[in-house]
Amino acid sequence: MEKLTPQQIVDSFKKALGDGFIDGKIYEREVAVKKNRYRRIWLYVKREAFREAVHHLSRIQEYPHFVIISSSDLGDEVELIYHFTIYYGHHLEEISVGIRVALSKKDLKIPTITDLIPGAIFTERETQEMMGVEVTDIPDGRRLFLAGDLPEGIHPWRKDDKKLEEYLRVLPGRKPKGKDKEG
Amino acid sequence: MSLKAFNRALWVYHLNTGSCNGCDIEILAVLTPRYDAERFGIMLVGSPRHADVLLATGPVGRSMEDSVRRIYEQTPDPKVVMAVGNCGIEGDVFHEAYSLVGPIDQIIPVDVYVPGCPPRPEAIIEGVVKAWAKLETLAKQGVA
Amino acid sequence: MAVNETEKTTYTIPVGPIHPALKEPIRLDLEIDGEQVVDVDVTLGQVHRSIEWLGMNRNNPVQTLYLAERICGICNICHPYCLVLAVEQAADIKVPDRAEYIRVIAAEMERIHSHILWAGVAAHEIGFDTVFYLTWRVREEIMDLIELVFGNRVTKAIFQFGGVRRDITEEQLPRLRQGLDYYKSIFEQLRRVFLEDETVKMRCRNVGILSTEDALKLLTVGPTVRASGVPKDVRQDQPYSAYADLDVKAITPDIVTGTVVGDVYDRIIVRLLEVAQSIQIIEDCIAHMPDGPILAEPKMPRLLKLLTDAAGEGVGRVEAPRGEDIHYVRLESGVSTLSTWKVRAPTYINLVAIPTILKGMQIADVPIAFASIDPCMSCTNRAIITDKATGSKSVLGYEEMHRLSVQKTKELQR
Repeated sequence: MEKLTPQQIVDSFKKALGDGFIDGKIYEREVAVKKNRYRRIWLYVKREAFREAVHHLSRIQEYPHFVIISSSDLGDEVELIYHFTIYYGHHLEEISVGIRVALSKKDLKIPTITDLIPGAIFTERETQEMMGVEVTDIPDGRRLFLAGDLPEGIHPWRKDDKKLEEYLRVLPGRKPKGKDKEG
Repeated sequence: MSLKAFNRALWVYHLNTGSCNGCDIEILAVLTPRYDAERFGIMLVGSPRHADVLLATGPVGRSMEDSVRRIYEQTPDPKVVMAVGNCGIEGDVFHEAYSLVGPIDQIIPVDVYVPGCPPRPEAIIEGVVKAWAKLETLAKQGVA
Repeated sequence: MAVNETEKTTYTIPVGPIHPALKEPIRLDLEIDGEQVVDVDVTLGQVHRSIEWLGMNRNNPVQTLYLAERICGICNICHPYCLVLAVEQAADIKVPDRAEYIRVIAAEMERIHSHILWAGVAAHEIGFDTVFYLTWRVREEIMDLIELVFGNRVTKAIFQFGGVRRDITEEQLPRLRQGLDYYKSIFEQLRRVFLEDETVKMRCRNVGILSTEDALKLLTVGPTVRASGVPKDVRQDQPYSAYADLDVKAITPDIVTGTVVGDVYDRIIVRLLEVAQSIQIIEDCIAHMPDGPILAEPKMPRLLKLLTDAAGEGVGRVEAPRGEDIHYVRLESGVSTLSTWKVRAPTYINLVAIPTILKGMQIADVPIAFASIDPCMSCTNRAIITDKATGSKSVLGYEEMHRLSVQKTKELQR
């Protein structure tokens, strides 16, 4: 199928998601001497429309390339960004798409996408253990990295996790987190 | 320094406790034809039970602590432990991580320290020579 | 799994090196039916050094750059490169053109050294120890060039936000060209050893196959996916730095053999041809390198203040020797650390494809098939591959598996 421009992609999402679509932004940056650009689309969607957004992306590109889930702790809410890329395999044509979902800390749940994209299992497990977001219907919810290190319930990526300080390995005579920088 | 009491080649077991592999590829560079420690008889073995020297790299993660202790106990005496690289000596950039239990000498006793991030192959060879001298002393004393 | 089969033993292969070069403990519990692997499961976690937490809570961005370098000692350029690209997008720093070209030269030199390292390790897994020593001797030349230009063999610390820290001077260029000529002259010999040897073909053809459709579904990256026929390459699709001026094509094995099988032999082809491609790219860069400054902001206190005050987010994607590497960074105004930092190394996602690659294979082929994705555990946090166990367990060390692999080669050679 023919390739769409970034603005056409944003408009098609708006049409497909209706109410679930909050905003769409396009970012472009020029590089090096010849000033070719690379292009990125940020899509802000609501949690209810999230799975439909991933479906719609699979219609634009068969087997979209899913990269990672990044999560940011913003105080009262946690923002998850699902990074995808489409139109790979051709010179200068790839567009990165980031689907962003904001979750309030009182209700940290998001549906899984492993039935659409089987390779997403690792990154969903990592988000679950590191940030404390519950991924509903995940086929294999075991902890990925911390199983031998920390007990359950501690989420290192959260900024308000108080229990983590006990586990920091601090050199003798120093205080953690650089608190002794004046000394 | 005379190296006559120890009349066989030095066998080395490489123990990776969670390092970034920088020191590990320099250790392997010591054995390849450019630096060629193999002409002295130094050889990498696949099991700690055959080893004379334990080359340990990396800051020790909490999940690796048991393995490190067990491997130390499996190595027969006389033995020498070398800590290669800054992470194993005192933590380097990882010193405040929540998943690490300390530099190697908090877990097993270390005899030779080779600092550097990563140390050059020449520095590792010098460390092995010092370890060899120490093994000589231990063998002469008849340490069981 | 059929219940009416008579023999079902589970071999537990405990902590022991799968890469003799890298000695990263890996545990394989393979569910075996006779001699074939039936199922595999993956567990991770031993090299976890809480790097992202350190970057978000303790370090200022320049310290994080040196921390990022130590994520992996082999792919030493790609992690700082990604971080620098991401922060420059977030803080909107413009990089001088000369620095872009030097960055590309650094990345390509790292690719040459990493692929030759991998070739030696793969030869060791098959049992050709002499080839292992030969390739590592060949690799010393590129290490000398790296030390000449960047100052150190392994951790180079060449990146800085807004440019690079060292310049390539006129006096270094003749030695650099001499090194590249050496590699061009020896490439034919390496090609003959790896691609035309009968034993290598027998051990590697039709072993560890990953079909095109599986590669797309399981999101593999790097030479692993290019060997399965999909031309995914960040240098071609979404070029960064000086790649945007060059014309880099993704290499797939049908350039040499005409067909795509997706096995270990195809991965050898892709990596060897990429070495030749890297030599060409370095020569192009040297020929077209523009003049000018190499750092946008040379004074450190001003750079730190600029990064503390900046707000924004950025994504850096780089084609590392093992595949696509990505860092996501968010900067907040007034906060002196990186507010959010997410690293995803290429082996992280290639490991998801391991159960599919290893199914149906003999135990003796497991070391070479596993090594063919070029796993860098310290980038990923080490993998323990465990499986659901039924029946009795017996312990099979890695040494035993490696011995089986070497034995198979000897039998084939008879």
